[in-house]
Parts: sequence; C-alpha cells; structure tokens
Amino acid sequence: MKYFLKRVIGTIPVLLGVVLLIFVMLRIIPGSPVLMLLGEHYDQATIDRLTAAMGLDRPMIVQFVDYITGALSGDLGISYKYSRPVTDMIMESLPYTIRLAVMAALFAWIMGLVTGVIAAVKKNNIIDRLFMGISLLGVSMPIFMTSLVLQYIFSFKLEILPMTEDGTFLSMILPSIALGWNSAGSIARMTRSSLIEVMQADYIDTARAKGLLRGAVIIKHALKNSLLPVVTMMALQLSSMLSGAVITESVFAIPGIGRLATTAIQNRDMPVLQGTVLFTTVIVIAGNLLADLLYSVLDPRIRKGD
Amino acid sequence: MSSLKRSQDPKLDDELKLQIGERDGIRDKLRKMCRDNHLAALSAIVICLFIAMAILAPVIAPYGEAEQDLINRLQGPSAAHILGTDELGRDVFTRMLYGSRISIAIGILPSLISLIIGVIAGLTAGYFGGAVDYVIMRVADVMLSIPSLLLAMVVMYTLGSSTVNLFVALSMTGWSSVARVVRSQTLSIKQSEYIEAARSIGVGKWRIMIRHILPNCIPSLIVLFTLNVPSAILSESSLSFLGIGIKLPASSWGLIVNQGRQFLFTQPWLCMAPCVAIMIVVLAFNFLGDGLRDVMDPYMQR
Amino acid sequence: MKKMTAILSGLLLAASVLTACGGSKTETAAETGSAESGAVVSAAAEEGVLRIANIADYQTLDVHKTTADYTIPINVFDRLFEIVPTDDGSTTIENSLVEDYTVSEDGLTYDFTLKDGILFSDGTPLKASDVAYTIKRALTHPQTVQTDIYASIEGASELMDGSATELTGLTVTDDTHFTIKLDHPYAGFIGQLATPGAAIMSESITEAAGDDFGQEPSVTIGTGPYMLTEWTRNSQIVLEANPNYWGEQPDARKVIISIVPDPSTMSMMFQNGELDMLDGDEIDSAVFDATYRTSQYEDKIVSANRLATTYLALNEAVEPLDDVRVRKAIQMAIDRQTILDTVYSGAGSIVDGIYARGLIGFTEDNQGWLQYDPEGAKELLAEAGYADGFDLEISSDNSASSSVLLVLQIIQQNLEAVGIHVTIEPYDEASWLDYRKSGEMPSFVATWTADYNDPDNFIYTFFGSEENVVIRSLNYTDTDVINRVAQARTIIDDDERLAEYAALEAKIVKDDAAWVPLFSRSHLFVLGDRVESFTPHWAGYSAYILSSFKLAD
Repeated sequence: MKYFLKRVIGTIPVLLGVVLLIFVMLRIIPGSPVLMLLGEHYDQATIDRLTAAMGLDRPMIVQFVDYITGALSGDLGISYKYSRPVTDMIMESLPYTIRLAVMAALFAWIMGLVTGVIAAVKKNNIIDRLFMGISLLGVSMPIFMTSLVLQYIFSFKLEILPMTEDGTFLSMILPSIALGWNSAGSIARMTRSSLIEVMQADYIDTARAKGLLRGAVIIKHALKNSLLPVVTMMALQLSSMLSGAVITESVFAIPGIGRLATTAIQNRDMPVLQGTVLFTTVIVIAGNLLADLLYSVLDPRIRKGD
Repeated sequence: MSSLKRSQDPKLDDELKLQIGERDGIRDKLRKMCRDNHLAALSAIVICLFIAMAILAPVIAPYGEAEQDLINRLQGPSAAHILGTDELGRDVFTRMLYGSRISIAIGILPSLISLIIGVIAGLTAGYFGGAVDYVIMRVADVMLSIPSLLLAMVVMYTLGSSTVNLFVALSMTGWSSVARVVRSQTLSIKQSEYIEAARSIGVGKWRIMIRHILPNCIPSLIVLFTLNVPSAILSESSLSFLGIGIKLPASSWGLIVNQGRQFLFTQPWLCMAPCVAIMIVVLAFNFLGDGLRDVMDPYMQR
Repeated sequence: MKKMTAILSGLLLAASVLTACGGSKTETAAETGSAESGAVVSAAAEEGVLRIANIADYQTLDVHKTTADYTIPINVFDRLFEIVPTDDGSTTIENSLVEDYTVSEDGLTYDFTLKDGILFSDGTPLKASDVAYTIKRALTHPQTVQTDIYASIEGASELMDGSATELTGLTVTDDTHFTIKLDHPYAGFIGQLATPGAAIMSESITEAAGDDFGQEPSVTIGTGPYMLTEWTRNSQIVLEANPNYWGEQPDARKVIISIVPDPSTMSMMFQNGELDMLDGDEIDSAVFDATYRTSQYEDKIVSANRLATTYLALNEAVEPLDDVRVRKAIQMAIDRQTILDTVYSGAGSIVDGIYARGLIGFTEDNQGWLQYDPEGAKELLAEAGYADGFDLEISSDNSASSSVLLVLQIIQQNLEAVGIHVTIEPYDEASWLDYRKSGEMPSFVATWTADYNDPDNFIYTFFGSEENVVIRSLNYTDTDVINRVAQARTIIDDDERLAEYAALEAKIVKDDAAWVPLFSRSHLFVLGDRVESFTPHWAGYSAYILSSFKLAD
C-alpha cells in the first residue's frame, strides 16, 4: 500500500509537467482562433469584440493560473467553436472510447494468445507462418487501412456488421478488431516465444508422463505465463491504443475522445484539444498505476525489489 | 521499465561481462545474426534496397516528379505506367519513388534525433543522479505519458503542417524510452571497477561518459533505433490520414495512400502500392530489430 | 471462446486474402455474399423518416454565433422573407413571417406587418417585439458574427459601439407592426433579411435559455417547419415536424442527420441504403464520377446551380502583380475549362465576371472577357519586361479540400508554361486567414458563395471599401472605383443600380484585371430510392431545406 501511495504521489509532478507543456505549446501558435470562427466573413470590429469575449486579450500567465485552478475543480474551459464546457464534451465522449479500448484489448488478448499458442505448437511449419503472418499484418498495416478494408468487406460487401457506430455491440466489433489487431501481433509474438521456451522445459515431459494431455498442459501454461506480461503490455499499449482510437473513431464515426481531438485540430479549437490531450494522458498515467498495482499483487517479488 | 525488472540482475551480468572481458565486437554479432537469422538478414537487404531506391529516385523514375498528364488520369497499371496514374495523370511509381525519400527520411531522421537527445539525457541523468536525474526522468515521463499520436497532433497544430515540423513532432516522442535505457545502463556500469579505475586516474566526467559508458550502450541503442523507425513511418501515415502531415506538393507514402484511399474501391492500385511499400519496410525494420535484439542484447526481451 | 477466436481469425484471414485480390475480384465475391445474407444489419427506415449525413457536427444552432452551420437553423427557424428558386434557375424573394411591407419613396423607411397567429413550436405566439429583440441581439450579443445583416439600420453603429442602448431606427407599433428606418438607402436590405442569419427568435424563450440556446434541443425553439428533438454530439441530430407550423406540413415527418466524418464511409452507407441522400460535395469528384455518374444512379442525380464564384486573387501590392499586363497575362494563361473538366468532371461553368450565374446582376455580356491564350500571355509578359518570367507564391489553405489542391497544381502547370514559376505554399487555416487579412498574401484561390441574392454581396465584399481590398489581400488601388462600389448600394432605381454594377464589373475584371474569375461549380446530390424529389438551396449551399424533400410512397 505504501508502495502504491508513493507511486501515486510520484505522478503529480508528471501531471503538472503535462499541463504546462500542452498549455505553452498550444499558446505559441500563430494565427487567431477568432478568424477561424469567422471564416470568409470578417471585419476588424468583430474580431476585436470576439477576442475580448473569449478572454484571449489577457496575459498568458493569467490565463494559465485560471486554467490550472479551473482544471482542479474539473473545469477545462469553454470550447471556442462550440461554446460549450470542454468537461461536458469529454464526459459525453468518454464512454465510447472506453468501450472501444476495452473491447479492442480483449480482442487483442484473445487473438494474440490463440495465434501465439497455435504458432508455438506448430512451430516453424506452415500454420505457424500463416498465423504469425496474420498477426504481423496488423502490426505493419496503417491502422486506417485496416479499418477501411474491414469496413469494406464486412459492412459494405457482406453486410454482416454495421458500417458505423450505432450504439449496438455489433457495431463495435469492427473498430475493436481494427484497433486490437495491432497489439495482438505483439502479444502473439510474446506468447509464442515464451511457450516455445516452456515446451522445451522438463516439467512438460513430467506432466505428460503423469498422463495429462499435451494440449491441456500447453494451454494451462500459456494462460498462466501470459497473464503477467499481458497485464504489463496492456498498460504500455494503452497509450498506443488511445493513439489508434483517434483513427478508428474517425473511420467508424464513433463519437469518442479521439474524434474530439481530431475535430479540435480541424477547428483549431484549442481548449478542446488541450482538454482531450490532458484527459487521455491522465488515463494513461492511471492505467500504468493500475498495472503496477496488479503486477505487485500478481507477483509479490516486485514490491521487494523496489 | 517493468520488462527490465523481470530479467535477472542486469547490473551483475554486465559487471561480470566486463570483468571476464567478454566483449564481442558488433561486427561479430552482426555476422552471427546473418548466419542464424535469415529473416533478419533478408530484412537488412530489403531496407538497403529501399534506401538505394530513395537515393536514386531521380535516376530510376521514368517521369518527372510533378509531371501531369491530364488526358491519361486514373489509368490502371500498364507498360507506360507500371503502377498506373493518379487523378492528375502523374505516374504513381514515380511519385512512390520520390515519396520514399521523405518516408524513409521520416523513419530514420526522427529516430536518429531522438536517439541523440535520449543518449544525452540518459547519460546525464544516470551519471549525475540526484536532482538532475529526477528532473530529466520526470520530463521523460511526461513525454511517455502523452499518447504519441496526440503529442504529434499538438506539435503539428502548434507549428503548422510541414515536412520539417513533422520531423520535430516525431522526434519528440521517441527520446524518452532511449533515455530510460541509457540511464539504467549508465547506472549499472557507473559503479564497475573499470569506471572507478578510470575516474581514479583523473579522466574527466564527459570523457568517461562518452568513451567508456556510451560504447556499452550501443548494442541496445541500435536495437531501439531499428524499432523506432517503423513506428515513425506509421505515425506519419496516421497524421496524413488526419490531414496534418506532409503537405502537397511534397509527397510521402502516407500521403499517397491517403490521397488514393478514396479510390480504394474504384482504382485500388493508387493506395495499395504505397501501402504495401509501407508494410514491407515496417516489417523489415521489425524483423531486423528483433534479430539485432537477439544477438546484441539478451536482456532487452519484451 | 477458443472457437469464437478461431472463427474471428478465419474471418481476418479471409479479409486479408480478399484484400490481396484487389478491387474487381472483391466485387464479384461480395455480390454473391450480399445476395445470400438477407439479414442486412441496418434496419429498414421507418415510413416518413428521412436519413441524411453531415461530415462534421454543427458547432451551434444559434445563427447569431455562426456563419456556416445553417442546415438546422434554416429548418427550425423562419425569416421575415424567404428566397425561393424558380423553375428557370433565377430566384424571387417571397414574404415569409411578413404579411406585407411598404417602402418609403426615399428608400429609407420600411413598414412591416407580420402574419397573424404565428406560433413557436412550443406554442408561444410570435410578436413584433420578438423581431426587435432578434435584431438587437444580433447587433449586441458578445459572440455575434451576424452584425452586417442589420448594420444599415439607423443607429446600429451607436448600439454596437455602446454609445446608445436603443436602436433608433427600429420602432415596434403593436404586436404585428414594426418600422425600420435605414441610415442610408440600401437596395439589398430585403435580401439581407432573407439570409439564414436573419432567423427570428422568441424573446422569452431565448432569454430564458441563456447560453443553452443553440446547444440544448429542448430550448432551441423557432417557428419553422421542424423542431429539434435530439442532439447526440458527433453522432446524430433528430428533427421532427413542428405541429404548430403555420405553413404546409413537410413530407418527411422525422429527419435523422448522422455525423459521418469519413467520406468513404458516408458513400458506402448511401450505397447500402442507410442514407437517403448523398451530398456530392463531401466526396472527391473523381470518386463521385466513377461511382455515381453511372447508369445505376443517372436518374438519381440532382444538380444545382451554385451561386458561388471560384476566383484567383492577385495582390497588386506585390511586384510584378502591380502591372496590369502581368495580371492580364495570368488571366490568359489559365486553362479554366480543363481545370473544371479535370477536377470537377465539368460540373459547372466558366465565369468571366464577378457575379455568379443565377445571381441578380449576372449577365452573359461578360462571356469572352477572358480567353485561354498562352501565346498571348507570353507576349504580354515580354511587353511588361518579364519575358523570362518571375516567381509567384500561391498560398494554399491546408484545410481546403483535396480538389482545391488539384486546381492549384493545374494552375501551377499553366503558369509555368508561360514562364511564371509558381510555388504552392501551404499554410494551416488560421495562419492562412491571418496572412490574408494582413494584406500581404501574394495570391490565392478561394470561393465566395452568395449570402443574399444581390451583386452587392459579391462586389462590396472585395472592392467596397479601402479596408476590404486590404483584408482580402487584393490591394486594388483605384479609389474612384472603390467609392463607386460603396455608392452603388444606395441607388434606389434597380435598373440604374444593375447598370452601375455591370460597369464596375467590366472595369475591375476586364480593364484592370484585378480579379481572375475561374468558374462556378454545380452542386451535385444523389437521391436514394426512398426520395422522390429534392430541391437544393437556392444558393447551392449544403444547408438543405428539409421540407423540399418529397418521399416516395
């Protein structure tokens, strides 16, 4: 517990650093967001009025202090473009992204494990190559291409899954596969190599001598051995999964946090971009903490080591 | 980080290695990899081929980079245009050759820059320790916590879309993991008798770091570098998808794929060719990286 | 669980194999596939429901705070007047909430009578004081971007700068009568009142809603044919017919607007029957051509004239663009028909003047002012002392669609052919706008779309004041012409006014070559089987008049 508390406190400077970095970076941009709002229609009087209304004429340090105090009480500012509280917008999109990430992680784990086991059992034969090839396809293909191709085949041509997010479980399958496939490759490779190691170990022979089926032994060991690294990997992959979600959410029209960030860029809606980046970073940090905690529960040696 | 903890005690091993003087040359290690791991060797050849193609693009290319032929637009593959033409009648193969220059540069340059930043940060943090270490590593934590694509998006938003800014954006994300590895290696080597000896005869701090500690990190750095390249190439294509990457009239594979993706179902060659090129290069770097890891750095298992 | 994963892996394998086979094979494989799987995932649409899509979510439904997102307000609110397209492609201005009005002889005083018994969708009656409230709100709300609609009313500038609290030119007589007095005669005023930004709001509802107005469906209430029932951000907006609507009830009882950010997804949804209309603007025109200009969809395409002119701007403060011969050479060097044919499949027409086809004031007299003549362009350049050409930057806005970039690249080739070396310099949108406003942008391509149907809307925006010529990076120098443009809007006699506009157009485009008109694009839509007919917005906006959709039985 003490170890965990220490870790939590350790994240505070990191969080502050993230806020500072994002805040400063987003404020040195050239070009006024006011002009973006006006588009083809503009005159100087309107520009000045809106600049004042959005508080952009105040010194940067005042804006920063305001932002920090606001953020602490859960207020991430008002969207330039939508004139709505950023916190509300994030909270509306959060469930979609969480659902997507959880399903993608689940898919990655199942596919990675199954592929890894099969590849290990059939080591170096054609099935090994085939399965590893499929998982590598996910690692090497740009994620938007994976998404588009899946969507084209299963939604457009075969019409067995919905084209876009519509609130149903079915509509989340394709985006989860597109997103999870990438991580599945790494998990499969890890499972394969660790299993090959395990299978050469003596105790497999012992187990078989005891009359246990080879398959059962392998699967039991595979599950047991993969659990720990998979937990770590999931935490480490959380960050890249959230990156990937930015893309899949766009292709499958999922109104999640990634979409929020993308539209914020398009609209040059700085408060929204700032809010989403901060929020996803908090998720990543929290995810890593959780993984640490789980890890120390699953493997008590870690705590002693630290 | 946690993966490092899993291995036995690397500190001990390194010390042992140093003391018994087991210091296989990098060349020997590479030779070993080529002998035992044909996939990695093949990948190395493929990568060299692509790099040669990028350098020789103006020589190989059958057409000019921006040469338009509006009458023959959106043509399928033919003898005149082996990969067809795009919506302005430009030769797709030519565009891919020129695109490979930027794509491969995008893979390699930011990885190199983050390597340099990471080495400096890691050496400094590991060697000096204390407050310096704390600050550097917290900055690294900050960089690692922000999902890389989002960080790149913020950088592109701030600096605007251009090729140079893309290098900046992609360089910012990779250095922290390099810094972590270098730091931990520095920590473990710092206490060895060998370094103590150097220090006692009055060798300067920076000299120790560069001449004695850094060489020990090189195997891991080569591996990290090789594995950073494909992620940079994929990030570039993601940024292009979001419309904030390279801007026309420059071209990269990611950009060509994205321009072509609307034609995925009517003129598939437009995006399939650069997409396959991306996949080949990404896989090649991954295989090579794995191969290098196996021979260079047995402790860096993922 | 293992079984399921095996199936999934199998599917993925199939996916990769299909991908490898390429386009044509996938086609046949999938056709049989769709025939077999009768269970289409998308549920069949209910009767009376119209399903359309938009590429991005709307920022606000409050027209005072936006100059772009008009689709919802145009259907939920009414205006005092409405511009209606006629069969011959021209437009008329018709009374909407206004029953009748008279204009004094000096063109300054307008007396309006509102229709009787008009209700907002929640049952609140419309009063003349609501109109007065709306006008004052548009002028004084801190976030308003719609001040120019009412700027010509007497006392508007005093109200805006805070030196007055009342609008002197506006008098409410009783619940249905009000009078507006203008500061100066302005022929385009009624046209202004018909723009989407001139939507009429209820004082009581809007004030009670505060900042939620335009954000919360339940309090964003108007008198229009539809009312808002649901808005899930970045996902969908639902509208239903307003039972209290004073006019004819719309055919589509319920409208679902899905937000679909990816154009290919949108196109596939339409082809699968999940959407009832596809806006051609959202899709690359080459893709649109290949997919929809085919025998299958031929009869389903609706083409609308767009009251918009795409132009190339040349900055006269930048050398050598200050030389009229150089500008004329550029006018002659660009092969506009080829650009239109290549990038937009010829959907549209070449424009030789400032006013778009279909706009009041448009004539065919200007046809032929600009001729594609690269040889002549070279001669002119040589005459101007640029036989060896010069360097020119065309600044491009990164957020513009890929087709605009194609246009720029063809222009680049065209100009290269006469020796002008063009670099296309990309800027992100905000920097691009900033740069242009600074008056220093050398050259750019943009499109101006009519807000209201009057030539003033085009020419005044670009040449109406010395500030305007700077912030549009034109730096046109002839102050006499600038003053004439500003004066033209006060001419009361219509014939005289239009003659002046025609003369000014000739001076600016033909004589001074201060503007390089390129083309007006048509706006194409594809209708699904469930839609019988649809009339696009008179100006060719992507803001659809939902009541103009007639559903098939």
